[in-house]
Amino acid sequence: MPRSLRGKVAIVGVGQSPSGRVPSRSPLDLTADATLKALADAGMDKSEIDGVLTGNAFASSFHRFSIALSEYLNIQPAYSNTLQVSGATAGAAVNTAAAAIHAGLADTVLVACGDSLLTGMTPDMAIRAMTESRDQQYEMPFGIPVANTFAMTAQRHMKEYGTTAEQFAQVAVTFREHASRTPGAQKTEPITIEDVLNSKMVTTPYHKLDCSLISDGAVALILTSAEKAKDYTNDPIYILGGGEYYSHEHIFLMPDLTQTGAVQSAKKAYEMAGISANDIDVAGIYDCFTGTVVMMLEDLGFCKKGEGGAFVESGEITYGGKIPTNTHGGMLSYAHPGIPAAWFHFAEVVRQLRGSCGERQVIGAEHGLVHTLGAGFSTQATTVLGTESTL
Amino acid sequence: MNDLIIQKPLPIADGDSQAFWDGLKIGQLLLQHCADCGHVQYYQQRICRQCQSENLQHKAASGRGTVHSYSVVYRAPGPAFKQDVPYAVLLIDLEEGPRMISSLVGKDFDVLDFDVPVQLETIKITDDVYLPCFHVVNK
Repeated sequence: MPRSLRGKVAIVGVGQSPSGRVPSRSPLDLTADATLKALADAGMDKSEIDGVLTGNAFASSFHRFSIALSEYLNIQPAYSNTLQVSGATAGAAVNTAAAAIHAGLADTVLVACGDSLLTGMTPDMAIRAMTESRDQQYEMPFGIPVANTFAMTAQRHMKEYGTTAEQFAQVAVTFREHASRTPGAQKTEPITIEDVLNSKMVTTPYHKLDCSLISDGAVALILTSAEKAKDYTNDPIYILGGGEYYSHEHIFLMPDLTQTGAVQSAKKAYEMAGISANDIDVAGIYDCFTGTVVMMLEDLGFCKKGEGGAFVESGEITYGGKIPTNTHGGMLSYAHPGIPAAWFHFAEVVRQLRGSCGERQVIGAEHGLVHTLGAGFSTQATTVLGTESTL
Repeated sequence: MNDLIIQKPLPIADGDSQAFWDGLKIGQLLLQHCADCGHVQYYQQRICRQCQSENLQHKAASGRGTVHSYSVVYRAPGPAFKQDVPYAVLLIDLEEGPRMISSLVGKDFDVLDFDVPVQLETIKITDDVYLPCFHVVNK
């Protein structure tokens, strides 16, 4: 039997700060705010946290954000790290926290991240954020924003599979509909496919409304062992499987522009969970761009390669469809504070599995999936979650 | 806004890449050919990415390639590129095999398409830095 995390660890607390435009609040403040709310959600005292994992914040000068956050909250953890695998950091942090708990390095781990990309960036910080993420020798001198790496994969997908700009736009339209039902969403006014196609071109084929937002905000999750989970909540949400894959650093060494490492990360996560894509009831999929979602629906196994555009167009990623996705509105409409963005996907899927989403509830959801990715599809992390009934 | 903001990121050669940036100053795009396994690689490093051999030889590329994908950038990635937009970023498949990131010389985006042939054109940025860019070959 391969070693497995299935059912060993559960998420028992979820909290988030105000998000969207939240001026005059530092990334540490926002993250601490989310943490206190997660502790309250779990009915837990902070003295029980002995592990802290975070991502980094662009608008914070701390190199060791997890350590700075611990000090801010007056926690002295026995286990801590500040992870950096770009957009996949959320999934990697949840998987890693679960592994650390299962291995005995910590009992209860805070997995949190916050940033203030919208209102908290000085010009120097903005430059760092804009230019540091791609290689300074072989990529950045050509003026290649990270958006452009994703755009070139989308262009190729259009060429190889006939995917259309209208199909990409439908992703933005659907997630905006979802956001309109979500309290706290940054963008809630309805948009049409024409609105997306008529918005300013950013980098072909992506228009402004094909691109995710820029926001402030933080989310905190609290994970503990399955044995202890019931001490805190009647609705622990269990980690059923985790898988990651890191296929390249430079976009020009991506093995195939239209098939990503999400195939491998999802395969591992599904195998550990003992289920397939068909069993997933609700998904949180990293949506930095509309086309990213189309490609992930294929690579995560929700539809066949090349059919992602038609899948979206026929309503399969909303209520009543095959896989309701980003029911909070995602990074395209709910919030995108940078690295913390995908933490919101976890918060939403956990709430869906708890059955606490009110009018946006996916009825009867038991299995959830969160897929996070980053840096031009370099980094991929999949997590399968489930209710107690799935164990 | 200060000078830092309008300065473009320039490559700073390291031990792995000095020969590559030196080659561009005389119009050569150097690729590494592995004498042990035959692998041809872009970008420069001390060992072959296929077989880890150190037996690598620099050879100038023909400069011929085709466009694998591209995207025309209308919103600059920071103030340094604002005066350049719109410009096209290219993924080029070189005749020798490797793929690389580059950008199109000029703004004739109408000629851009998948698989169109392109030719290397080194562009002087400073006395020390020449960038390997490409133009579409007219048939």
